[in-house]
Amino acid sequence: MAEKPVGRSELGRIVGGTPRAVENALAELGTSYEGTGLRLQRSGDEWQIVTATEHAPQVAAYLGADRLRLSAASLETLSVIAYRQPVTRAEVEAIRGVNCDQTIYTLASRRLIEERGRKEAPGRPILYGTTWEFLECFGLQSLDDLPRALSPEGQVLESAEARPGERA
Amino acid sequence: MDSQAPRVTVEGFDGPLDLLLELVEEKKLDILIVRLGDLADEYLARVRAMPSLPADEVSAFLALASRLVLLKARSLLPSLEPLAEEESESEEELRLRLLEYAVVRERAGQLGARLRAGERAFHREGGTIELPPRGGEVDALASAWSRVLALAARHGEREEDIVAPGERYSVEQRTAEIEALVAAQGRVSFATLLAEAPTVGFAVVTFIALLDLYRRGVIDLSQDELFSDILITGRELSSAQN
Repeated sequence: MAEKPVGRSELGRIVGGTPRAVENALAELGTSYEGTGLRLQRSGDEWQIVTATEHAPQVAAYLGADRLRLSAASLETLSVIAYRQPVTRAEVEAIRGVNCDQTIYTLASRRLIEERGRKEAPGRPILYGTTWEFLECFGLQSLDDLPRALSPEGQVLESAEARPGERA
Repeated sequence: MDSQAPRVTVEGFDGPLDLLLELVEEKKLDILIVRLGDLADEYLARVRAMPSLPADEVSAFLALASRLVLLKARSLLPSLEPLAEEESESEEELRLRLLEYAVVRERAGQLGARLRAGERAFHREGGTIELPPRGGEVDALASAWSRVLALAARHGEREEDIVAPGERYSVEQRTAEIEALVAAQGRVSFATLLAEAPTVGFAVVTFIALLDLYRRGVIDLSQDELFSDILITGRELSSAQN
């Protein structure tokens, strides 16, 4: 019934189960969707039911949805935020070596990223993270599904990096 | 494409790190071992060939250029004493940045490929389904139906009396009547308004008049429960009560 993602604690309250029981039930539900047109999507402690990516062309045609287009610069900024979230604009700029004002504005206005509070640092800069729309647009069931690096350089860095989605 | 502002790209290079990485890849060098100072000349040549850029963009390109030249100088003259300030970024630190950027670009490419493949998900759109209010629905429905039946019975008697159907009621006239009634009594029920002469034409005109009054903000409409009588309240009265 929900049009918005539902939190684990809310589910627990409604069905009267422990968080652990809810988690197990959700895992079961996710498995039962395999082979159907639906998928269970997770972001942090929230869940929602979405359409399976393989049916995207049909669903998009039904909804009259346009395909999202992003410039290379926006994609780079988005990838830094996706893998490093929560992250400040300055941190994104340090990695990309260029000003990212415009790309962050574009990504936020397309609801692919959102503010995640402030960093406890001088100036209290805004922290950014990805949204549900991001997961949907890229057909990811959770942040754990983000593509892994293929190049040897990437693997070197990835092994040293905290896995995204495991942070609080 | 981003359309909000002109994007600053130079021959397809998105910033100094992008240009440097491009050079490394063009020459099929290994980021992990290439001597970055060796790329100084080529990098400078590319920067020189650039058309004019906004000042802050140029400075970013030039900052990296100076870094590369310094690295080159150091490799040619190993005896060169490091200056305290210029050692802000060693070759290894720059290499690490480049490495990190290479990963970002690779991931961006993968994300871009997912976008182009169009394999995305959709969530349910269009809001939560509105369930009708609960409680006593069956009884309310039954009594509403009996009111309709009673109305229809009276309607049957009355219809025979009508000799010339024609224009018997006008919305303007009815609007004025209701407005006066509401002004006088403050609160009128829809049933009261209809009870006088509930022929189809009269009911329709009354209803349209009510809608028009509501649209003009003269009256407020409320209904306590499903199928119950509609209450018409003067807007001034209800705002005075608040």
